[in-house]
Amino acid sequence: MISAERKPFGEIKASIRPHRKILMVGCATCVAECAAGGEKEVGLLASQLRLDAVKEGREIEIKEMTLDRQCVYEFIDQVTPVADQYDVILSLGCGAGVQAMAEVLPKIHIVPALNTTSIAETREAGVWLEDCRGCGDCKLDYFADICPVTRCAKGLFNGPCGGSKEGRCEADPDAQCAWQLIITRLEETGRTASMDEVYPPANWARKQGKGPRKIVREDQRA
Amino acid sequence: MEANQQGVRVAIFFCRQLDPDQDTHRRLLEKELGPRIRFFPLPCSGRIDPLHFLKALETGSDKVYLIACPEGACRYGQGNVRARKRLSYARGLIEEIGFAPESFELIYAAGPLPVSIDTLSRQLLGLGPARSPAVRQAPGSPAIPEKKGETVAVKHE
Repeated sequence: MISAERKPFGEIKASIRPHRKILMVGCATCVAECAAGGEKEVGLLASQLRLDAVKEGREIEIKEMTLDRQCVYEFIDQVTPVADQYDVILSLGCGAGVQAMAEVLPKIHIVPALNTTSIAETREAGVWLEDCRGCGDCKLDYFADICPVTRCAKGLFNGPCGGSKEGRCEADPDAQCAWQLIITRLEETGRTASMDEVYPPANWARKQGKGPRKIVREDQRA
Repeated sequence: MEANQQGVRVAIFFCRQLDPDQDTHRRLLEKELGPRIRFFPLPCSGRIDPLHFLKALETGSDKVYLIACPEGACRYGQGNVRARKRLSYARGLIEEIGFAPESFELIYAAGPLPVSIDTLSRQLLGLGPARSPAVRQAPGSPAIPEKKGETVAVKHE
């Protein structure tokens, strides 16, 4: 999933400050899973904004909505009929959600309420771990399904670096050493022979350098 | 709730495991104090969500209590531990907007269960003992006074 965190309240408040009628739009998919922008988080932020306005003697009107997926135009269509009734849309979607809404609603001011951070997994309740950089040239099979690009601080394809201590990364002792995990898992799945391989660099052209990446599937198009 | 009424307006969320007769007991104070007190029974204090705290504040409560079972006595194991974490998060949210974090308070009931939610709440709010449920509430019911440091059978978090 895409993981995100809510921006500081002061930053959000400053972004929407001149506006009185606010449409808050959450997303019930990734950012709901990471408790940043789902229906509940929309409610919490709306409640905070309303309480803040009452405390300061300001009038504010907030409508709360949560789309199934804010990055898909078909779902954004629920916003279209009401969007022009509000001064601003405060999006609790990821960066893709905000930009998708901006594409569909070209004349509406849309403000992001989240900082999108990574592609992550839910490690345990309340813990989300980045484990994919979306490099476009996946080598997980070589590395026992543990991504060294993301989870090794040094991004080593041919590790380990030798700096780990008791399975912890020397750059960040809170993080497990990715290469310790890779080797342990290769041993557990009987694939230690692959440790003898020397892996060439990935094709980084697939990750960056030519503007936004795009996938086109003719069979899926209208 | 009407903002022009005297006294503190209170919302009390509480674990139903505290008092099997909570449905009867909480009505005593509800009848006595009218809309200035609102009770919200929860299946476990761990069910509380920061949104519950904020909505209670937003809809007119000056003070929001969550009453949990004694530490180590949660029927479901860790519910009252999670409640403390949720309280902490909710307090952070109101601090961001300049409200006193003490507007939300977690209370651990002391002593063996069950305890009457009516008795607990009266102790917490510094009110006198319950009137007979048979007595009808007169118009213009009394306000909830500010609590004045009484000894109560509860533990504040």
